[in-house]
Amino acid sequence: MSGADDDFSPETLAAEYVLGTLDAAGHAAASARLAVDPAFAAEVRFWEDRLFPLTALAAPVPPPAALLSRIEASIGAPAPANDNRVRFWRTAALAASAVAASLALFVALRPAHPPVFAVLSPTGAVAPVLVAFGGQGEAIGLRPSAAIGVAQDRDLQLWSLPEGATRPASLGVLPAGGKQLPPGVQPGTKLLVSLEPKGGSPTGQPTGPVVYGGVLQRFR
Amino acid sequence: MPADAASLNDADLILRCAGQDRAAFRTLYAKWSARLHGVALRITRDPALAADATHDAFVQLWQQAARYDPKLGEAGAWLMSLARYRALDLVRRRGRERLGHEPAQDQADQGPDPLASLLAAADGGALHRCLETLQPERRRLIVLAFVEGYSHSQLAALLAVPVGTVKSWIRRSLIGLKECLAS
Repeated sequence: MSGADDDFSPETLAAEYVLGTLDAAGHAAASARLAVDPAFAAEVRFWEDRLFPLTALAAPVPPPAALLSRIEASIGAPAPANDNRVRFWRTAALAASAVAASLALFVALRPAHPPVFAVLSPTGAVAPVLVAFGGQGEAIGLRPSAAIGVAQDRDLQLWSLPEGATRPASLGVLPAGGKQLPPGVQPGTKLLVSLEPKGGSPTGQPTGPVVYGGVLQRFR
Repeated sequence: MPADAASLNDADLILRCAGQDRAAFRTLYAKWSARLHGVALRITRDPALAADATHDAFVQLWQQAARYDPKLGEAGAWLMSLARYRALDLVRRRGRERLGHEPAQDQADQGPDPLASLLAAADGGALHRCLETLQPERRRLIVLAFVEGYSHSQLAALLAVPVGTVKSWIRRSLIGLKECLAS
């Protein structure tokens, strides 16, 4: 559809996201915003909750019998190696303090070049964090703190959303070991990671859930 | 603890999934899979896509269970949303805008007043009352968009009005609904 979907007002964007009438680009922009805007996320939950009774208008239909085993195969990835299962890190502050602790070491080693960093806090269960860091004038690296389990037919894809931009730009599929950001990603840019079909989003915009999000900022 | 999984409420079961409890996951699947799949089938109108959407929704349930906050809304609403968003994503990717994918009138209009069944739903009363405040054709737009997953252009074709009109009716209806539902 046309770019007219760009003009959604803040008060109806959440409602239209839940209603399902946004086009792919509008839906992707709303998904990205969900990860970084708690007030927007709360508005989405309001609509999900209030419109929920309408789901009763679709008659229940049992899924194919084989589906449960297919699902269980998809979620069968071993739990993170750390058996002390950390509860979900509900606040970015907690993640930030952990990252700050690791960065303290980094800073001590490289006092001459203050690094930039981003905290990409997990939005999924017992998920590892992603840490982005780089010294001034150096490439910025993005590394997971532990292996991030993804179904075999999926890939994680990295996106950047510069300040003021409304649509994320792809920085490519995120390999298991992390990757270097291309030059020119500025502090203030939001970094987002979405779950996509193998090989990355076919549309050029996130199509799956945004599972990580954070803002690249200067470390002082 | 498989023995008591069946006696827990949905919110507790979701929280147990966050703790990697497979028995809780299977209990939720037994209870909700037909409803999630029914919603996905209604939106995709394609058995293979509907099964994919249901698959993805339950995988997300397992992976994102810790995101569910019982204070912010019903467990069922959260679960159904997982399936709806996946179904809508899959349909968008298939290209629901393409010509030839016409809305199925027979399904869209089944029953004299599909809204009447909302009254039977435990918590549907408030929504029903607020939908009643909308003009009938605008109410129909909201219900068709939500239940059938129709896009602006499909709704425009179905009601024989311009797409811009559909967009503006939907937005105004949502603003009215918000006021009514929040009061």
